[in-house]
Amino acid sequence: MNHLAYLDAGSGSLIVQAVVGGVAGVAVAAKLYWRRLVSRFRRQPTDQS
Amino acid sequence: MAIPHLHHPAPPGAPSSRPDLPGTDLPAEPGSDLRAEPGSFRDPANRVFHAGQDVLRALDETAAAHWRALAGSDFFPPLMAAGKVCGTEEMPAATAPQRWAAVLRHDRIPFVSHPYEWSFTMLRDAALLHLEILREALPAGFTTKDGSAYNLQWRGTEPVFIDVGSFAPLREGEPWAGYRQFCQTLLYPLLLNAHLGVDFRPWLRAQIDGIEPDQMGRLFRGVRRLLPGVLTHVHLHGSVQRRNAARTTTDVRAQLRDAGYSRELALATVRGMEKLVRRLDHQPPTSHWVDYQRTCGYSEADRSTKERFVTAALTSAAQRRLVLDLGANDGRYARLAAAHADYVVAVEQDPAVVDRLYRTLRGEGERRVLPLVMDLADPSPGGGWRGIERASFAARTGADTVLALALVHHLAIGRNVPLPEVLACLTALAAPGGRLVVEFVHPEDPMARRLLANKPDGLFPDYRRDAFEALLATHGTVEERWELPSGSRTLYRVALGG
Repeated sequence: MNHLAYLDAGSGSLIVQAVVGGVAGVAVAAKLYWRRLVSRFRRQPTDQS
Repeated sequence: MAIPHLHHPAPPGAPSSRPDLPGTDLPAEPGSDLRAEPGSFRDPANRVFHAGQDVLRALDETAAAHWRALAGSDFFPPLMAAGKVCGTEEMPAATAPQRWAAVLRHDRIPFVSHPYEWSFTMLRDAALLHLEILREALPAGFTTKDGSAYNLQWRGTEPVFIDVGSFAPLREGEPWAGYRQFCQTLLYPLLLNAHLGVDFRPWLRAQIDGIEPDQMGRLFRGVRRLLPGVLTHVHLHGSVQRRNAARTTTDVRAQLRDAGYSRELALATVRGMEKLVRRLDHQPPTSHWVDYQRTCGYSEADRSTKERFVTAALTSAAQRRLVLDLGANDGRYARLAAAHADYVVAVEQDPAVVDRLYRTLRGEGERRVLPLVMDLADPSPGGGWRGIERASFAARTGADTVLALALVHHLAIGRNVPLPEVLACLTALAAPGGRLVVEFVHPEDPMARRLLANKPDGLFPDYRRDAFEALLATHGTVEERWELPSGSRTLYRVALGG
């Protein structure tokens, strides 16, 4: 928990900042979504077992 | 969250401690006059309170450590020296009330205003200052915890960042926590005005947290999506927000860090927003008020007489701290007042006129005149939590001199406000023992006749000079009365009370 963040920064508002940060930022956002996707497939076998 | 430094220490007659207000759990020292600022409660790490004329900020241990790091940083002292951040000093440790680790004292902002009282260019310059401060802070390893328009105030036409409690050490790999707030209270209002010509003020006045991305999205459909800044900051922002609504910010922060988000990216975002905001412009449609000074029918003799009257009224005033110029138009008398008073607040209802005045004054480097957009027949109400988080206009005034030149007929005839009400309003804006400088436009004056012609005959039987003078006498002593050379206008200087 980040106690400095008294304000709800908004999950989407955090991610969109990467996208508006230019090409490098889009790459970061793409990596984030790719990792989410990969972790979803990875989890599936564990869930079934 | 920004903390407005109330100009007036307390509403007249208000008790020094009001246990029903938010934030008053602040431990008031027995016998002291500490008064918690009602607008300061959102960030529990620090809280503003007033002690007499002093504006103080109490900090908890973490906030105190951040303040000391900030004061010792390379970027902060130059910003403060340049007047871009509110002047701040730490008080001796013994002054800290229990529970708080340190107390700061801020320079007083001469008059607290709200973003819905600013013109377009004022809001834009305030947004640019916020971004500039963030751009300076990031390389030094600091960020701001929020991004609200309420972080900014004015010293004349110079914006000032007041929320010193907002600075915190940057956590590597984390985007700006204040981005959403910045969009909602600064960027979106600017986009609305610049791209659609829609006045942002009613939105900000009605919603303390600003305009939601979804509200903006509905206004920018079709090809309007392609207008600068709209696709990303509005539509993409709204859509990513909806898709991630179930995820916590803690998780998302960690994911972004793992994906390689960096300080350089945060800086690139800030620079991009600065570029966008700088490009936004708004040329308001010309209204008849823009040319009012030229078209209002004053003769040069009337004008110079009025100037002499106003100058004499101000130079003879015992207190010259604050002058309120109501219906300021092009600021002719506000500037005159600034030569004889510490600070002048020039209130005008037309945003185009105020924007023009702001640009002119800023170009001249004038720091003692604050132009504000407000309709006196519909002044800023209290807003936010319990209606006191943002103080109403009436609660912020308390002028030593109130100037009401060529104004009364617009309220009394143009807006149907009964004459006794008009005077009650004007006098209530003055501090106890203050002065009112007021012009009465006789019913036979061409301007008054033009206004009367729009209303049914006989609607204003009390709009007469003798009735006006009788009312003035109930509010104070008429010290001076001049007739303007045109013969259809009279100026009064009234010592209020007594």
